[in-house]
Amino acid sequence: MQEATFLILTALAAGSQHGYGIISDVAQISDGRVRLRAGTLYSALDRLRIDGLISVDREEIAENRLRRYYRLTPEGSKLLATEAARVQSNAATAIARLRVTRGLAG
Amino acid sequence: MTDSAELERGYRRWLSWYPKTFRREHEAEITVLIASAREGQRRPEAVECLDLMSSALSMRLRPRVPRADRSAFRAIKLMYLGALVELAAAIIILATIGEIKSEVVMSSPGLTEAEWHAIVVGQLAPTEVGAILGVGFWLWIAWSIGRGHRWPRLVFAIFFALNIFGLLNGLVHGSAVYARPDLAIGTLLCLVELAALAVICRAKIAPAQSGTSRTIAES
Repeated sequence: MQEATFLILTALAAGSQHGYGIISDVAQISDGRVRLRAGTLYSALDRLRIDGLISVDREEIAENRLRRYYRLTPEGSKLLATEAARVQSNAATAIARLRVTRGLAG
Repeated sequence: MTDSAELERGYRRWLSWYPKTFRREHEAEITVLIASAREGQRRPEAVECLDLMSSALSMRLRPRVPRADRSAFRAIKLMYLGALVELAAAIIILATIGEIKSEVVMSSPGLTEAEWHAIVVGQLAPTEVGAILGVGFWLWIAWSIGRGHRWPRLVFAIFFALNIFGLLNGLVHGSAVYARPDLAIGTLLCLVELAALAVICRAKIAPAQSGTSRTIAES
């Protein structure tokens, strides 16, 4: 899974969000490292929707402007959990090995 | 006209690269999102435009069937492989033209320049053009499967039958055995076609999704 996709799913894990909310949240989660542009975001949302990982939660009109909220589907939650566990496991292995290497070096 | 309205109009022009169905549903949403994020800006940012353009192209070209539909994706990958082999065939024909001439001269020692020219124009040039068109055909079929169409099965079956007929006809008349690399790539192409035909016929291709309205109704 690409990092941008992982971050978008993570942004939606806490609840439904609209496009601008997802962009801000992704920037916050990644400490400003990943800044999604509108084209990239909507292309990813389109792909995730086709794959059944997200769906449109609701639409609102605020100041005469459309806001569409997206949410994770149960399949999306499941995939995100699997991916998060995989990343966590890899990170734990990397940290453990670095400790050993540093321990040996020290 | 306010800065924001002018900026929105500028971005709308770039959004015309997107497919109609996508634009109908998301144009207002995306335009507002980009335009409202910049204060005092009047013209679209070059980076933002490039991002919109590349995303629009990717959306037009990439498959729109769910990734879970593995058989459809397998068929699409085989079509891409077929396009690659077809391209290799086109290159090999050009690269082995000298070898082909030697083979022809060996089988017909008294070959004149006029006769060789007739072979090039009558047999090699059509094969070369056919291979180049074939690349486009494979990609078109891959794209069509990715859109959830079922008709590519029939069209591809006809394409396969014509190609096999062409290869056998060439073998019978000697034109397909002018050079070994050409025969090898022709055989490989037929094998890829056979595999692609088997996969495409067995694939459970579901109609591609195009809008969000169905998703809202389902939720």
